[in-house]
Amino acid sequence: MAIIRDMIPAFELFQPTTVEDALALMAEHGEAGWVLAGGLDSYDWFKDRIKRPEAVIDLGGIDELNGISDGQDGLEIGAMTTLTEIVRHERVRSEYMLLADAAEHVATPQIRNQGTLGGNISQDTRCWYYRSGWACYRAGGNTCYAAAPQAMNREHAITGTSRCVAVNPSDTAPALVALDAKMTVRGRRSSSVYDAEDFFIGPATDITRMTILEAGDLLTQIDIPSEWANAHFYYEKVRDRGSWDFQLVSVAAAFKTSGNTIEDARIAVNGIAPFPVRLDAVERLVIGAAVDEALAVEAGEIAIDGSRPLKHNEYKQPMTSNLVRRAVRSVA
Amino acid sequence: MGEVESAGLLETKYSRRKFIKGVIAAGATASSAGYFIGGSGLLGAQAVPGAAERLITLTINGQQRRVDVLPNETLAMTLRYRLNLTGTKLGCDRAECGACTVLVDGVSQYGCSMLTNQVRGSSITTIEGLENPDTGELSPVQQAVIDEGGFQCAFCAPGFIMSMTAMVNENPNPTRAEAAHALSGNLCRCGDYDKILNCAMRAAELARSV
Amino acid sequence: MAEKIIGTDIAPQDLVAKITGRAKYAEDFRADGMVFAKLLLSPMPHARVRGVDATRALAMPGVIDILRADEVRQIEGRPGEASLTDEPLYEGQPILAVAAETEEQAAAAIEAIEVDFEPLPFVLDPLDSLRPNGPNAYTGGNRFGGGEFSELKWTEADFEEIEAGRMPNGEAAVEWTKGDIDAAFSESDLVLEESIVHQSLTHHPMEPRSAMMYWENGKLHAFVSTQSAQRTKYAIAGTLNIDPEDVILVAEYCGGGFGSKISGNTHMEVPAVFSRKIGRPVMLRITRYEENYIGRARPGFQSWLKMGFLADGTCNAIDLYIVQESGPFGASDFNTAGMIADLVYTPQNMRFRGIAMYTNTPPKAAQRGPGGAQIVIMMEPILEKAARQLGLDRLEVHLKNAPDPDVGFGPRNSTLTSVHAKEALEKGAEIFDWAGKQELSGRVEGSKSTGIGIGLSPYTAGSRGYDGLMVIRPDGKLYVHQGLGNLGTHSIMDTARPAAEILNLNWDQVELVWGDSSRGMPRSSVQAGSQTTHAHSRANHAAGMDARAKVLEVAAQTLGGSPSNYDMDNGRVFRRGGGASMTFAQVAERAIELGGKYDGHELPDNIHATTVPAANMLAGQGLMGVARDNYGGSGGVYSWVAGFALVELDRETGVVDIKEYVAVTDCGTVLHPRSLEAQVLGGSVQGIGQAMTQRWVFDPKWGVPFANRLYTARPPGILDVPLDMKADALGIPDPQTPVGAKGIGEPPVGAGGAALTSAVADAMGGHCLCRTPLTPDIILAELEGLSQPFTLEQHIG
Repeated sequence: MAIIRDMIPAFELFQPTTVEDALALMAEHGEAGWVLAGGLDSYDWFKDRIKRPEAVIDLGGIDELNGISDGQDGLEIGAMTTLTEIVRHERVRSEYMLLADAAEHVATPQIRNQGTLGGNISQDTRCWYYRSGWACYRAGGNTCYAAAPQAMNREHAITGTSRCVAVNPSDTAPALVALDAKMTVRGRRSSSVYDAEDFFIGPATDITRMTILEAGDLLTQIDIPSEWANAHFYYEKVRDRGSWDFQLVSVAAAFKTSGNTIEDARIAVNGIAPFPVRLDAVERLVIGAAVDEALAVEAGEIAIDGSRPLKHNEYKQPMTSNLVRRAVRSVA
Repeated sequence: MGEVESAGLLETKYSRRKFIKGVIAAGATASSAGYFIGGSGLLGAQAVPGAAERLITLTINGQQRRVDVLPNETLAMTLRYRLNLTGTKLGCDRAECGACTVLVDGVSQYGCSMLTNQVRGSSITTIEGLENPDTGELSPVQQAVIDEGGFQCAFCAPGFIMSMTAMVNENPNPTRAEAAHALSGNLCRCGDYDKILNCAMRAAELARSV
Repeated sequence: MAEKIIGTDIAPQDLVAKITGRAKYAEDFRADGMVFAKLLLSPMPHARVRGVDATRALAMPGVIDILRADEVRQIEGRPGEASLTDEPLYEGQPILAVAAETEEQAAAAIEAIEVDFEPLPFVLDPLDSLRPNGPNAYTGGNRFGGGEFSELKWTEADFEEIEAGRMPNGEAAVEWTKGDIDAAFSESDLVLEESIVHQSLTHHPMEPRSAMMYWENGKLHAFVSTQSAQRTKYAIAGTLNIDPEDVILVAEYCGGGFGSKISGNTHMEVPAVFSRKIGRPVMLRITRYEENYIGRARPGFQSWLKMGFLADGTCNAIDLYIVQESGPFGASDFNTAGMIADLVYTPQNMRFRGIAMYTNTPPKAAQRGPGGAQIVIMMEPILEKAARQLGLDRLEVHLKNAPDPDVGFGPRNSTLTSVHAKEALEKGAEIFDWAGKQELSGRVEGSKSTGIGIGLSPYTAGSRGYDGLMVIRPDGKLYVHQGLGNLGTHSIMDTARPAAEILNLNWDQVELVWGDSSRGMPRSSVQAGSQTTHAHSRANHAAGMDARAKVLEVAAQTLGGSPSNYDMDNGRVFRRGGGASMTFAQVAERAIELGGKYDGHELPDNIHATTVPAANMLAGQGLMGVARDNYGGSGGVYSWVAGFALVELDRETGVVDIKEYVAVTDCGTVLHPRSLEAQVLGGSVQGIGQAMTQRWVFDPKWGVPFANRLYTARPPGILDVPLDMKADALGIPDPQTPVGAKGIGEPPVGAGGAALTSAVADAMGGHCLCRTPLTPDIILAELEGLSQPFTLEQHIG
């Protein structure tokens, strides 16, 4: 079969207006169904004619998935809330700026106007071997082209790999990990809540998925607990271009401080693994410590413990170290 | 131009040629409330892309337009190939260049990367809809581009102008940095960014004085 | 008096169409019964098609037909590009096309076609092809000459030199020397040797090269995206082997080309042949993905450079060896690069060696400042390094080495019509405040270090001998017929200005006719190589003078006296000192009555054969001005841009923030200041992208490109350039051309790029990375002393 990377192949389009209907449609179509949030990742797959669902279930008409509201503890964000709405939301900005900051680093204004928080964190990896439709592990094959000795892997992982070396591309994912966000996932019969950290999975868990979501699961809501409201935040994303670019490395950190001393911390890095990496060891190091340059340097060093670069991405080690160092330094 | 038609001919041709099926839900799915926009497969026909579509009504530039669209058809394709609104350009068709930028209920989005069926209830504005429909007067943004002599090859211009239009509505008093940020979803390969920013600042100035 | 037109800002006549969506680019045209063609691209970098089974596709609903390689023109026995091929030489080369009623059907049909490909050996990196036993791009070898393919390999010893970071001595395809470099280097107080990689990069104009065509009454109606209208008409006719007058070319707007659509493109043949075959109009909508493959690219260089300097900063010797990555069909950038190196640094002693190697990567073509941009982007950081080691100011070193007007350069000591490089440097330095910014150079604050840099870039900017064609019609207006393309340089409008001034007309009395060959196009330069401002301000000057003479003669013949008794202003010709007068409308009517040369029934015998049909078509419609540019001149026409940049480098991330950019050009008389500024800054932005972000990435094992999307190819966006950029022009007329104007498209690219590579080197304490693009990973790896920062490989990712 010859390859052509143009024109979306035919599908049936469903536009349910309730979560229940969406779940029913998802159950009915199973693996042949495709859940569409903002669609920006989906259309790429469709136009490349690599993913060819028979049924597309568009969540855009489900009001209950849209919007930000005050919860019992913090904020409740519908999975279909656009990134622009998050960027502009008053309470997000005043209490959880880390999330607004991360969301504002996504791609472009048009994409933020259409892309959703749920979609942003559920998007697939941008490994160019995988996105080109090659039969790699993640695509159900039996090799990883990106880890081959000659491979082009400047943008790939230095840690957390297991056969697959692709990275998670989401800008908001590390912020949600750092904010201890809770993800509500609904299936047809049950509903579960996951810690953000557990929502993102690595290839060791399931090489074909980036998140805990399986066919039939719907991410409906992201809760931001008040635990980290008004903490000291640090977000930085390094990319090649100022817009429409995925991170080379990004860091999202939240600190509770007393003067110069870090009382509690969450630090997550993305772009270095198939999932946003929470740096527990760095957190343990800095909690209770007074911030000085020596601490920042040590934090940066610990951050890349155990990482192993590929042929073209050794730079991600110092880049990660330096970003973590800056995050810690920012407290002082 | 002889046989090269200007507007509407293609649309008429397609409407005439193609049959229309009402396919709303019709018990075909488990969902009673959900809309269903059927591809050909379910209708018993062979898999013929384009063989089955439904007639929908879109609100474009203040006008109601009835048009046949496929479930898998993007708004940019509908605009360009069904409605002959070719001012909306396809530079990449992948939400990367911004040449297809349109306003959906006033919000800038990439026309290449949304399904036409998703905007049935929305008001769409394209580059063709910016002039005053009664007087033909250019919009403040368009006038600003004239004032500044903007754009080179201008293939990106409709998209940039739509982004500028969204920008002046949302932030009528931008700094130059804010304007650049607002326009960062559009590419200009001629590299005319300096002049485009001049246009944006002038546009905001004109919009404020309206 | 009529208004001043040359040198003033006038909004281009096509601007309203462009900003209202009414401007029609190729893919905006529709025709009754139009069908859609789709291409099947080669999935591998070199292969032979053993068989095609389209049975299933042809049986699919809506599918009309298939077009195979044997139905289009093939280039046999030498490297050459066909629009469809059975021996693809790069991944993405079109194999066949399918037409169907809808695009969905055509795409589905492509997928239903079975192609049996026999994979063949391929090469991506020119050095690999030169290695002993390395692969060749063609089955017959890796070089072509004397009518046959052969094999050229360097020795193991050459590659040992390369591995040791030294210049190899492998056989070159081109070699020239001037002076005595060995003696000169022995006199040098400082000798720097570097090995340098400049990447290949795609053009990516905003408008992909879509085309729609149909045949009617034996004539081809072609709606295309091209840089040059009149020449494209002839190119299409040549490809199809038909009478050029049977081609109706419509190319009113072109969404950018930058050298990739000079006279259209190879793949225009597909809709032309296909529509003839099936009797239906065919739209070939080229996608961005396809544009990445068939849309041309700038050739990359792997090179070795040795530069000698005297203590006072004089560059006394250059030894340069360039290996060029040329794609399957070749390119000549490297030759130009050698010339430009000699021109910018005037070493007096120079050896240039170069070789262009065929590779199985998408085809290369001129990209804005071809060869020149690459070489200055590569060399400026070395000048930065030299100045630093000699304790000299870089501006001074530049001024010391920049050419004077009597410069002779290259192997044949070529001369130039005018050179004001030093003035451009000085004016740029003044606007940028080079002296004041010295204290910022290399300053480190926190993690940030500041760098300033200069890029001096010349390029050809004019040609001679084209034709002008214009008619004063009975409505009293001057209709200037332009055979140029309309790709955003405004040269359609701006090169008509001299004719308006010669005829003392106001600009609103001038109508421009372009973009449709059925309306008459004179022989024109290709709109490339920055030729048109120079070439067509001259051609329209000549035709304007012809029209002026004829207006005066018509007045004298009608009103008495001799032509010298008459003058003209504002659309009226009148007897000096008062008395009888005629409007241009009356002159036009009278010219038609007089016939002969006055209304174009008699034409000058020195105009180009391809102007004649257009002039014949317009004969009898008014007073015709038609003439060849016979102004002559000696020496090359070059324009210059001096670019200055200030950057801030984040030493912890490798990210470069461009804070300021200033460019000053020597391009002669300024026709249209605002458009000139846009060309200078726009070209500079392209150079910034070339230096900082744009690239290609190929998997070396499989031979396929991965940076095939805009987000992976990374052309610069609005946040990647300074918020305020400044451009200025010297405005010194070129003495050898009547209007004084030279072109400007090419040189800013090198200036922008070189100012950046130079400024980044400054921010790194004078350390030259010697490769582009300067992405954060490359810079950080160098700053952190990692093992990965630099290799001589092309296409690394």
